[in-house]
Amino acid sequence: MPAVQLFATCLGDLAFADAVEDAEGLLRSAGFEVVFPRAQVCCGQPAFNSGHHAAAERVARSFVRAFSRELPVVVPSGSCATMASHYLPGLLGVEPYDVWELSAFLVQAGFRPLPRNAGRRIAYHDSCHMLRELRISAQPRKLLAASGAELVSFARPDLCCGFGGTFSVRQPEVSLAMADDKLAGAGGATIVTSDPGCLMHLRGRTERLGSGPRVLHLASALARGVGA
Amino acid sequence: MPELAQPASRFREIARGKLADARVQTALDEATNRLRTNRVGAWGNLPDVEELRQQAHEIRMAVIDDLDAHVSRFTAALEARGGHVFFARTAAEASGYVAEVCRRRGATLAAKSKSMASEEIGLNEALEAVGVRPVETDLGEYILQLAGEHPEHILAPAIEKTADEVAELLSRAGGKPVPPELEALTNAARTQLRETFLQADVGITGANFGVSETGSICLVTNEGNGRLVSSIPPVHVAIMGMERLVPSTADLAVLLKLLARSATGQKLSVYTTLLTGPRRPGETDGPEEQHVVILDNGRSQLLRGRYREMLACIRCGACLNVCPVYRKAGGAAYSSVYSGPMGAVLLPLLVGLQQAPSLPHASSLCGACTEACPVKIPLHELLLDLRRDLVEERVAPWLERVGFTLWSLAWSRPLGYRLTTRLARLTQPLAGLVGPGRAWARGRALPRLERRYRDRR
Repeated sequence: MPAVQLFATCLGDLAFADAVEDAEGLLRSAGFEVVFPRAQVCCGQPAFNSGHHAAAERVARSFVRAFSRELPVVVPSGSCATMASHYLPGLLGVEPYDVWELSAFLVQAGFRPLPRNAGRRIAYHDSCHMLRELRISAQPRKLLAASGAELVSFARPDLCCGFGGTFSVRQPEVSLAMADDKLAGAGGATIVTSDPGCLMHLRGRTERLGSGPRVLHLASALARGVGA
Repeated sequence: MPELAQPASRFREIARGKLADARVQTALDEATNRLRTNRVGAWGNLPDVEELRQQAHEIRMAVIDDLDAHVSRFTAALEARGGHVFFARTAAEASGYVAEVCRRRGATLAAKSKSMASEEIGLNEALEAVGVRPVETDLGEYILQLAGEHPEHILAPAIEKTADEVAELLSRAGGKPVPPELEALTNAARTQLRETFLQADVGITGANFGVSETGSICLVTNEGNGRLVSSIPPVHVAIMGMERLVPSTADLAVLLKLLARSATGQKLSVYTTLLTGPRRPGETDGPEEQHVVILDNGRSQLLRGRYREMLACIRCGACLNVCPVYRKAGGAAYSSVYSGPMGAVLLPLLVGLQQAPSLPHASSLCGACTEACPVKIPLHELLLDLRRDLVEERVAPWLERVGFTLWSLAWSRPLGYRLTTRLARLTQPLAGLVGPGRAWARGRALPRLERRYRDRR
């Protein structure tokens, strides 16, 4: 059986362990052995995107110690996949890794999800790094459609949800206003995204407001269905 | 340039005010979305927009690589046509030169066409100080001048003003009521401005481009005021950022193909004016004197560094129209005539990071700006580089630097990660009380830290 290394990401490990378990389950269903390198920590992105390169380097080194270049690294996060594939090698001066964002990996592996979302209306939220740096937008939609979902478009699919890492706490008012626009733009459909950051931000907002659409990670939407 | 300085909390304070104003929010949303949709449509109608963007990028970068030579060539060409060229190193030198031209001509009234460069150097204040009354003739700028405000968008300066507000301003200025309808408003402004065009002693414009080969200035307007201002008054002064040169008219054509399309979605703006020197013997119109002020004001510092690509900017406003942050915060939060992503990059470069420390962080780094830039400036990457400079130049707050250092020491090894996250889970109820957790928790639930994935395996 071919094997992959799973990079849970810090946010996935700490706050969205269920979604990471779902990602692991999907990879197994797709016929892969899932290796979890226990030395993994974080890709260093929070510091990198705030300009703290020395701090980012220190943390990103843990990625180098944990992962091998022999097997694909699959990441259930568009922005951490971007950091690990686009920025980390340059930051550390190391050879690139074979990094894959989860949905892109599943689609190229020919994975067909179970029809757990038959008739469900889903608005897929493109996280910015995944859309504009990795250029992955068709694959998650393809998987959701294959799971039976009816995909609806956001009013303004191009707009960022307002997370933006430390932006969310440096400019909290603007960040929240962006979240509210994004939530309203789903037109009542369930929101599915591939980024734990967007998920934490948008779901945190609906929880605080006590209303708004459900927000799920793509892995959970595929593994359990959005109605579960 | 004290008027450009931007203290750390200013962006957030101004943005908060704009967010609370529903009328401003609607105006920003509608205007930016309309301009964005128009641009996307216009780009889509080009046979190969990517090739054109690349070509435009190369033309701009070739000029920046050899800017001194282009400035000399432009100067020689224009002087050969009887124009005057003044190279201003600072804002004060530039406005001082324009004031001196006005003084020498005994001018009391100056008609201005929209010019971001003149806003940048605070020209209106400098003219008023020497007894010259500057009147803005671009409709949006005229409205703002009547309101005593500054531009909120480099292309659509009065973007946040509604028809009712404009009607009120024009009614007061003209001394009779004007209904809040587009045609009536335009006619009122037209009547009020007509006298200014005819009586002005000096006409002042910006310059969308200068052509090195010919010494020409290219003005792009939709209202025709640029043409009136540069041809009716006896003296025409153009203020041009030193980087706005293109090698030849053929290169100009490439950039003109992109400028209006990227700005408003038009193929060309209504008026595209090429001016080459003052009126010559036998000609029936044009100014007796023409002056071009070439403005450095911090630009030459960017020529050799990693921010040189910012000098390629053609001020189309496309990045503002796609920016999810500009769209909520509005232009004033950026504290200068330059707002949105291009402003967030440019202002710290022109005035120094110390003067504008919050601007590199006034972005979610979504990258929509880079995607919309017709001359392919990697705006969000430049913001990321500026954030790095904030840290390296120790402008970033001490507490932030210590915080990231301690965090990175803990998270450099799995043991430190496990211990700190265990601690974080135990102290969860306190997370919303201090620091970033507090800012987060103001409008969002904090994520619940449950059993880690790594402990479930």
